[in-house]
Amino acid sequence: MSVLDIAKGMGVTLGHLFKRPVTVRYPEQPVDVKPRFRGRHHLLRHPSGLEKCIGCSLCAAACPAYAIYVEAAENDPDDPVSPGERYASIYEINMLRCIFCGMCEEACPTGAIVLGHEFELADFVYQDFTYGKDDMLVGVMGSKWQRREATQKGRDVRVGLSSGPRPELEGVDY
Amino acid sequence: MKVKVNDTELELAPGTSAIDAVFAAGYDVPYFCSQEYMSPIGACRMCLAKVGAPRQDRATGEWILDEETGEPKIFYFPTLMATCTTAIMEGMVIDTLSDEVRGAQNGMVEFTLINHPLDCPVCDKGGACELQDRAYEYGSGLSRFRFDKRHQEKHHALSELITLDRERCIHCKRCVRYFEEVPGDEVLDFIERGGHTYIGTLGEGLPSNFTGNITDICPVGALLDATSRFRGRNWEYDHTRTTGLDDASGSAIIVDARTGRIERIKAALNAEVNKSWIDDGTRFGHEYVDAEDRIKTPLVRKEGELVPVTWEEATGYVKAKLEGIADKELGIVLRADATLEEGVAAKALADHLQTGQLDHCPRPKASVLPEGDAARFTDLATADAIFVIGDVSEEVPAVDLRIKDALKGVSPPASLPHGVPIADLRLKERMPRKAGLLTVAAPYRVDLMRHAGRSVCYPVGGETAFLSALVKLATVEDELSEEEVAALGMPVDEGRALIERLAQAQNAVIVYGSFVLASPAARNAVIALAKAVKAKVMVMGPMANSYGLEAIGVMPSHARYSYQQMIRGGAKALILSGLDPAQDPSVAEALKDLELLVVHHHFANATTALADVVLPAKTGYEKDGTVVNLEGRYLPVRSAPVDGGQSEDFTGLVRYLGEALGVRLDGRSTRSAKRALNHLLAVDLRDLPDEGLLAKAKSRPLRRVSVKEQEAVSGNVLLVPSMVRPEFVSRNPQLRAAFGDVALCLHPDDADQMKLVGGERVRLSVDGTLRKATVRVSETVPQGIMLLPATPEQPVGLVSADLATLVKESSELEVA
Repeated sequence: MSVLDIAKGMGVTLGHLFKRPVTVRYPEQPVDVKPRFRGRHHLLRHPSGLEKCIGCSLCAAACPAYAIYVEAAENDPDDPVSPGERYASIYEINMLRCIFCGMCEEACPTGAIVLGHEFELADFVYQDFTYGKDDMLVGVMGSKWQRREATQKGRDVRVGLSSGPRPELEGVDY
Repeated sequence: MKVKVNDTELELAPGTSAIDAVFAAGYDVPYFCSQEYMSPIGACRMCLAKVGAPRQDRATGEWILDEETGEPKIFYFPTLMATCTTAIMEGMVIDTLSDEVRGAQNGMVEFTLINHPLDCPVCDKGGACELQDRAYEYGSGLSRFRFDKRHQEKHHALSELITLDRERCIHCKRCVRYFEEVPGDEVLDFIERGGHTYIGTLGEGLPSNFTGNITDICPVGALLDATSRFRGRNWEYDHTRTTGLDDASGSAIIVDARTGRIERIKAALNAEVNKSWIDDGTRFGHEYVDAEDRIKTPLVRKEGELVPVTWEEATGYVKAKLEGIADKELGIVLRADATLEEGVAAKALADHLQTGQLDHCPRPKASVLPEGDAARFTDLATADAIFVIGDVSEEVPAVDLRIKDALKGVSPPASLPHGVPIADLRLKERMPRKAGLLTVAAPYRVDLMRHAGRSVCYPVGGETAFLSALVKLATVEDELSEEEVAALGMPVDEGRALIERLAQAQNAVIVYGSFVLASPAARNAVIALAKAVKAKVMVMGPMANSYGLEAIGVMPSHARYSYQQMIRGGAKALILSGLDPAQDPSVAEALKDLELLVVHHHFANATTALADVVLPAKTGYEKDGTVVNLEGRYLPVRSAPVDGGQSEDFTGLVRYLGEALGVRLDGRSTRSAKRALNHLLAVDLRDLPDEGLLAKAKSRPLRRVSVKEQEAVSGNVLLVPSMVRPEFVSRNPQLRAAFGDVALCLHPDDADQMKLVGGERVRLSVDGTLRKATVRVSETVPQGIMLLPATPEQPVGLVSADLATLVKESSELEVA
């Protein structure tokens, strides 16, 4: 190793001193996740406002971590929750068990469940990791903890993403 | 006959269908319309195969030989054949693997799917659907159908218990044939033609006790169990094969449970007992298990209130109380659907506490054990003369179906390597029934009489006189007296004809149930009749294990120690399992004087209100054990995963109480109980096969009770057996919606006289107990008598009701 080699190495260091840093000041700054990143699940609705989920339990069957529990019920024809006869009366995902593999999304015959970009799911109590329909239906932003903090502090839910929703979810604002 | 299926040669009995030959050879062919125990009709055209056979020269009788090989030449049918309707022939060759056959099967799947909605994700059959499986195995996987599918009614309620989705129907005709061939009522049929065909009824609802079976046999999700609608997917259920404890038949059932609840019950196949059919009481009568108000922890009365405690504390309390009670003052009573293991446990407990006050309830006055030749279900199905006394369709509905098998005159099919034949070619649609071989006698018109060649309504309460008159006809040449002729309920010639028919038959069976068992004299008369005409007997006990509990001797050691005596002051302490005697106010008064009342039950009731200790009981779906059905067949009872809290069966109670008393009793677990039973009966009950075990018990009952002749009773209410158990009706809302509330049946003239109309809710004091019921007016009821379903506490028989206590309940009261 010669003096020249050391100078070369220091040159690289010096060069980087004047470049933009790649580290992100998370959580002060939001992060940018990749388009196909798989985070917290969203349950989508049809443009008519009806839920896409029909409570068929195929996601639960496909789930390798047994994280999903579904109970179905019959729609009231006058006030349906979803198109057709059947809807999910209970839809729960245990986020501690979930491995975010996206098999549920692949199994879903109606495209009702989609893994979004939200990833900040840390919480304090086991039972708070069980997300129900109210926590996942499209329009709900943030994890249970983030929403709890927002209500307590009386401000909007703040999620640490800058990339916006997944392409599948873009334009779904009902 | 020699048959060659693809490359496998096998030898089968003549008359076997080609589809069974294929399955017997270990090959598969798709089918939708064939069904075990039903006629093959070739409706779905799925089981196509290339079939050929050698031909004999008509002139010489020689086989026509192939000129090249010198072997018999195979002449193939010009088209592919539906194998389910093709009988095998000597030297037949069946090809199921060639491209031609696969192509045809593929095409049939495509045709079948043209009008099928493919809404598998929301269909309750999804995951257990024959069409799904066959489309996966034999279909092309792609649809070429680009047009609108047929649209029909999606949710048609055929009855309260069954929904029909007409879009999903593939017109296999199984349900239509089922009703005509199995229960023998033509209820459903195809309406319209071609693509517009749909299944429908002429009137409203499905008037049968066996409607649920069509949901099992429907190959698609067209006919579904409405009670389990959308409750879970097929792969999510825990399937437990067990024995139904709803009646004495020992029908095989599959209990499907999810998250600790029973969601549905399906029929299981037991070829020698219920085949693959069960009645609606067994199928739908399970809702009470998941009722909200079930007792799930032991309770002990402290300062007048029942307080939840642990089992140890409860049994410790019982032990402390027992110390002040002398031997023979404690009574132990089981419900008659308790398992043999529970019976052993109760016996061990009674022996340890040195009490003879041990009984099961309901226990008829006469023995339920058959004397002489006991008939099996197969004897019944092959009988050439059957004499029924009672209402089998309500008492043990499985017997009703096996009697209807006998009417068809087709013996049970021989088992093949793959099990029961898929297509039994001896069965046909609308077969003529040999009604002449069946005689039905009952005190009122019963359903089975519609199928009987001869039906008799003898006077109410007159079983003994009726049967004695028949015995006299069979044994003595003398003429009958006028009284005896009146008791016979039919012309004397008819009676003689019946006796002759029974005596001449090779295989005569006499079936009797609770009406006869209510009187020892009537039971002795029927046994005498059976001996006189050399008939086998089948006894329908009142509950699932009446036979077994009597056989192992869960009986009082003396007549004065019977249940009826115990609850009326005969005992100072009582352990009651599954019973509610305090509905009768006079009994409730007597129970108040007890020093200790332990009630082992699922629900709070009049008796638990008086109890010192209430222990949570397992239902028949949660127990492990063995029962003996009416044939004397040992059948396994297995526990389904149901959330019963801390409930235990009687073996559990004995285990905890034994621990408190510091003894290791027989029957402290099902294992130790089975050991004791092996000792007692010389039958190894461990690992019983699904179809049960027919074994002669080594010993007769250890303790026989001499039954005194009962005095003739009179009354105005006849308590009758019913398929729907009245004690659970209020907690089985869907069954109640379908079969109605507990019914008080009256003759129209009586109803007019009492100013009652059908559908009115009434309260009536029957034999001291206040019973609620809905009035049903029917011509089938004899005048001057009312019919009311029997409960365990009020067994079948004639009792009197005080008509002054009859109160109409207004409908507003019911809502409140």
